[in-house]
Amino acid sequence: MTTSERPSGSVDPKLLEILVCPLTKAPLEYDAERQELISRAAKLAYPIRDGIPIMLPEEARPLE
Amino acid sequence: MGADLDNTTVEKAYARWAPVYDLVFDKVMAAGRRAAVEAAMRAGRRVLDVGVGTGLELRYFHDSAEVVGVDLSEPMLRKAQERIRAGGMRHIAGLCVMDAARLAFPDETFDAVIAPYVITVVPHPEASLDELIRVVRRGGDVVLVNHIGADRGPRAVLERWLARQTRHIGWRPEFPWSRIEAWCASRPHVELAERRAVPPFGLFTLVRLRKRRADMAPVPQAA
Repeated sequence: MTTSERPSGSVDPKLLEILVCPLTKAPLEYDAERQELISRAAKLAYPIRDGIPIMLPEEARPLE
Repeated sequence: MGADLDNTTVEKAYARWAPVYDLVFDKVMAAGRRAAVEAAMRAGRRVLDVGVGTGLELRYFHDSAEVVGVDLSEPMLRKAQERIRAGGMRHIAGLCVMDAARLAFPDETFDAVIAPYVITVVPHPEASLDELIRVVRRGGDVVLVNHIGADRGPRAVLERWLARQTRHIGWRPEFPWSRIEAWCASRPHVELAERRAVPPFGLFTLVRLRKRRADMAPVPQAA
């Protein structure tokens, strides 16, 4: 895992692979376009801001 | 526990500290940070740094490490991000905003977890310790460095007074050792592997907690 080969502001794919929902500990889906990590179980979308996933339920976007 | 902390208070306090934090805290805490990193590297390469803040201890990791850093404060992490870019640190796999009591990693992801100067400032120390142990592999280590309060004596009185001022500075100086001891005693899958003073003046204590191997104690299933 290295940081220097990626454009700044992107997240290491290996980091995205290991992240789970902090509430349910279930796997997440990565939405590259919206820069969000989606927890179907918790019905939340966690934002990624300038390369940093924000894994706080209170900062997540509630899904329909 | 006196004046206690919540996440909003901690986040606001560290947003204020972010610009000057290194100036104020780097020197006095450096030995403890280095000791925590060295202890963690003995357990393996995959290390989670909880409360990584501005990234002060990242320079102590070997190049072979794979470090993930998490912190509740985004402004502190932006400082760490600058430090990683400026230093060209290839051993940092990523940074995330996370609550130590609700980590977004599967069970047994890391060889070691370090939490330098963290457990006395989090709103839910026991719940956070449970999470730190959860994400470390069996036989792996959780390394804490803290100012751990005296249980009695003049220092205890001073610390209780300081605890009432806690909300203004965003941490909790009063944190009795007995609280970690009680937590550890009620967790059969955790053993106290090491407890020693680190410089300066033995002001800070390094505590290493080991997650027992499966044949020694079953790990309870999370609710």
